[in-house]
Amino acid sequence: MSTRRIQEMITHNAIYIVLVVLIIGIAIYDPSFIGINALRDVLNQSATRTIIALGVAFILITGGTDLSAGRMVGLTAVISASMLQIQDYPRRFFPGLADLPVIVPVLLAIAVGFLFGMINGLIVAKLRVPPFIATLGTMVIIYGVNSLYFDMDPNHSQPIGGLRPDFTKWWGSGSIGSGQYSIPYIVIIAIIVAIIVWVIFNKTRLGKNMYAIGGNEQAAKVSGINVSRNLIWIYSIAGALYGLAGVMEAARTGGATNNYGNMYELDAIAACVVGGVSTTGGIGTVPGVLTGVLIFTVINYGLTFIGVSPNWQLIIKGMIIIAAVAFDMRKYANKK
Amino acid sequence: MAEQDYYLEMRSISKEFPGVKALDQVTLQVRPGTVHALMGENGAGKSTLMKCLFGIYKPDGGEIYLNGKKTEILSSSDALANGISMIHQELHPIPFRDVMENIWLGRFPMKGIGPFKFVDHSKMYRDTEDLFKQLDIDLKPDTLVGKLSVSKIQSIEIAKAVSFNSRIIVMDEPTSSLTGVEVEHLFRIIRDLKAKGVAIIYISHKMEEILRISDDVTIMRDGKKIGTWPAAEMTTDLIISKMVGRDLTHRFPERDNVPGDVILQAHDLTSPVDKSFKNVSFELRKGEILGIGGLVGAQRTELIEALFGLRELSAGSISIHGKKVKIKSPKDAMKYGLALLTEERRTTGIFPVLSVHENGAIANLDRYMTPYLLLNEKKKQTETNKMIEKLRTKTPNTKALIMNLSGGNQQKVLLARWLLTEPEILLLDEPTRGIDVGAKFEIYSIIADLARQGKSIIMISSEMPELLGMSDRIMVMSEGKMTGILDGETASEETIMRLAAQH
Amino acid sequence: MKKLSMVVLATSVLGAALAGCSSSGSGGSSTEPSVGVAIYKFDDTFMTGVRNSIEKNGKGIAKVEIVDSQNSQPTQNDKVDLFLTKNTKALVINPVDRTAAGVIIDKAKAKDTPVVFLNREPLPEDMKKWDKVYYVGAKAEESGTLEGGLVVDYWKAHPEADKNKDGVLQYVMLKGEQGHQDAELRTKYSIQAVEEAGIKVEKLAEDNANWDRVKGQEKMAAFLASHGDKIEAVFANNDDMALGAIEALKAGGYFTGGKYIPVVGVDATAPALQALSDGTMLGTVLNDANNQGKAAVTLASLLGQGKEITKESVGFDVTDKQYVWIPYKKITKDNMKDAQ
Repeated sequence: MSTRRIQEMITHNAIYIVLVVLIIGIAIYDPSFIGINALRDVLNQSATRTIIALGVAFILITGGTDLSAGRMVGLTAVISASMLQIQDYPRRFFPGLADLPVIVPVLLAIAVGFLFGMINGLIVAKLRVPPFIATLGTMVIIYGVNSLYFDMDPNHSQPIGGLRPDFTKWWGSGSIGSGQYSIPYIVIIAIIVAIIVWVIFNKTRLGKNMYAIGGNEQAAKVSGINVSRNLIWIYSIAGALYGLAGVMEAARTGGATNNYGNMYELDAIAACVVGGVSTTGGIGTVPGVLTGVLIFTVINYGLTFIGVSPNWQLIIKGMIIIAAVAFDMRKYANKK
Repeated sequence: MAEQDYYLEMRSISKEFPGVKALDQVTLQVRPGTVHALMGENGAGKSTLMKCLFGIYKPDGGEIYLNGKKTEILSSSDALANGISMIHQELHPIPFRDVMENIWLGRFPMKGIGPFKFVDHSKMYRDTEDLFKQLDIDLKPDTLVGKLSVSKIQSIEIAKAVSFNSRIIVMDEPTSSLTGVEVEHLFRIIRDLKAKGVAIIYISHKMEEILRISDDVTIMRDGKKIGTWPAAEMTTDLIISKMVGRDLTHRFPERDNVPGDVILQAHDLTSPVDKSFKNVSFELRKGEILGIGGLVGAQRTELIEALFGLRELSAGSISIHGKKVKIKSPKDAMKYGLALLTEERRTTGIFPVLSVHENGAIANLDRYMTPYLLLNEKKKQTETNKMIEKLRTKTPNTKALIMNLSGGNQQKVLLARWLLTEPEILLLDEPTRGIDVGAKFEIYSIIADLARQGKSIIMISSEMPELLGMSDRIMVMSEGKMTGILDGETASEETIMRLAAQH
Repeated sequence: MKKLSMVVLATSVLGAALAGCSSSGSGGSSTEPSVGVAIYKFDDTFMTGVRNSIEKNGKGIAKVEIVDSQNSQPTQNDKVDLFLTKNTKALVINPVDRTAAGVIIDKAKAKDTPVVFLNREPLPEDMKKWDKVYYVGAKAEESGTLEGGLVVDYWKAHPEADKNKDGVLQYVMLKGEQGHQDAELRTKYSIQAVEEAGIKVEKLAEDNANWDRVKGQEKMAAFLASHGDKIEAVFANNDDMALGAIEALKAGGYFTGGKYIPVVGVDATAPALQALSDGTMLGTVLNDANNQGKAAVTLASLLGQGKEITKESVGFDVTDKQYVWIPYKKITKDNMKDAQ
């Protein structure tokens, strides 16, 4: 193979190489990192992040951005938790509420995410507010709404706990199988979501339109695409994904506060960008996003695993974000 | 011609923007199976009229009749549904998607059951292949558009417009980035379409093309229709005089500059990029205007951008005043007395939301620096505004935003910007592109004036008459190589064309 | 292009290299049990004191690894999973949300890894889930009681403190964040302590200053403007607000030429100790970071080795078999050393 071919191969697979090098580096230091338990932890910890990152990817590909993602996760975590407490818990959010089928609050939380996503979409598409500003606004609003809800009588801003085991198991901490050979349910949920999103990106009209809008909005318009309607759908779907992620965060931790999800959007944007999604729109793939998420989980988990100080972890994370984008700019820049 | 002969009638269309009457009771009648040229200076209202037809703008008044039936067109999708398609002046490719997705955007073939509908990729591939075969376009449907040349993208846009099977196709400057061969190819497609009864509305500034291809010519000026004539009755001068509203006796100013000593020598300039310029050598004299001609893709822009330090050189040397210089950045180039007026005025020239004054001053701020790191605002204002006035820039005042000026006046501000740096050598890349016929003359006068004052000028132009009318010598390039240098007095369009097409 | 691919590779290699050289705190003999510690966030001043104590007191009895939960419960759960995967022998958890303790207990119980909760008390029903769950912390109300006690001591020793000689203590109160449990408890119990000592009180003013020094100063300035010299004591829910109040009082002419007013706070922060030695602050209450850390790491070490938990083995009283209460301390100019 010529050096040119090798270079090209490295360029196009850079993120996968980074992931492998990271894993090898950590494994050299502590071989016990390579094992089923660590693998399961990494997947487990990537599950909700994946879902949020995929939501953010929808919006980044349209050329937008979504700062409200994290707060939406927080809101939906609180909503689902508030309706799924055990009956004899001393501080119930809704003291008189009967046991609902788990799916009802789950769907309600997803619907709330969808609704706020739609609001984002309407602001961006109809009021023509730039996405950065629009979602900056809704980010603050959603936190306010969440805090209001969280402060309602009789809860008064106390953390919501005592979640029903049938909820925390299926949507959070439970797994198929047992012991060594088990797969957490949330990993399965994340995989299903990733497949659905892949199909949307590659096989549906909405997906194609999304790439078109991000690649050249004017072109999409003159090709007869209803840009507003597509944008509203895309923001709504992203919101629904945040809603699902919020449900899973509540179930996974067995509780929720209004501070859940704080700054998750930045992690998600970072994962997307490292995974090759362009912040100027038009580019991005599901495998890329998944790899981006995995890189950050491996950094978080692996470097803690081998005892690297958290301060160094931050420095390494920042460097990887910048390096990844510098690399991408290079890949797509007009060669001079 | 009987009324019903018209397939499209736009009756008394008016459109007003804040402060401007863009269209004033304009009527356009187009016969099926003909090419109808729409002409006028920039700002005459051609594009606005077409945008009203295509549903991008909503007219304030007037009616549109298609095949005798009154039709309301509220959006681009309405227009497409009514059999109107359009090749836009600004190309609209979606760069990171493939060719077929670009073509079938907004109307992908679908398959599936009930609510689960998915895009049918294989049908899309086959349809694209058929379309390309029919139009004789040599492209694979799954090539990424971002990797294609501008002229290929142009041909995709043409294919896309044809694929709608429309009765009316609007072509807004379709040949702006096509080579000679490709223009012939387009004309062949147009003749086929005509034969099928399709009406084509053709907007172009290139008189020769208009006279060759069109059946009728409608001329607009200042948002009003001047008239419609059979193309056979028109000549270039006639069209121009109707567009400008006065007779143009001289298209170019008298030049009395006298080339002096050699000031710049370029030897064997070669780009590190494969298909870019190679082994280009030339000289430039003091007070000389050196034109550079060639087709799109001849790498002329790349060459002068390299001179200005914007691109790298892998080999070759540049001497100024006989001394070898290394130019690694525009800053270096400015130090050696070079100035560059870029081709894409809108994207690499003006700062649209800054004032005329700031746009003029921006390249020259070093001179107004005081020892306290602040700018000497007064000196900056006086000198910059004086230069802007000297070039007779038409602007309400120098505090106005440059984006509100016409192209010609924007270009004058940019010229002022570079003249303020007191350059010896001006590199002008398509200095009159997109500028009205009337304003062109003023730009030419400025250039001639500068040469008389002893400035040396390199001017890239794709307009033959401009090259011939303005240059002392003309260097012609083809595919990155210099194919010849002609004397401005004796050169002709034919000699330039021959060199430009040389392989 | 070549350069950039090198950058990416270099970054990841650097990551691996750092991993190789910056692993710390894992020295010691192999008989020491490994203890995983998750602090709710690293940039909390008090918890940093506890953290330092855990490191110091853990030497020789445990292999301690401390991680930052970044004020996010999901992150903390991730860290717990990691510790359990690494077969850590015992956990010390300073929860982000106290309600999340239940899930952490379930996880730990599944791998039979004892847990010591620190500083934020889990709900009683969660504590009852397993007998290898402990809590080390202080009783919030006690800080209020001691704060009130400081003022009582001063009032009794200095008859001139009753400026208007009406036998009633006129005070103002600077509260922390609205609805915050510590703020409510400190406000309530500090005054209750004064009343229980037989002193009549009158509240002139009370306002939220959000734990904040600047706000404390602004609110105190407002109190001074409306009540002036009628104020006989200033209670603040924490030192920062007390210090802010002192700045406002200085601007009002206090602490010079014999003009004095007792100001009390909670936390015994370094600037507060400085104010004690300057004589501007009367006293503060120390939440004993050192002993909290010491008790937590000692407990974890014993649990990790499967040893019995008694008053003797831990060195602290164990209440209800699961709780170690670390008392607060009154700090004045006289015993400042204890807090340094």
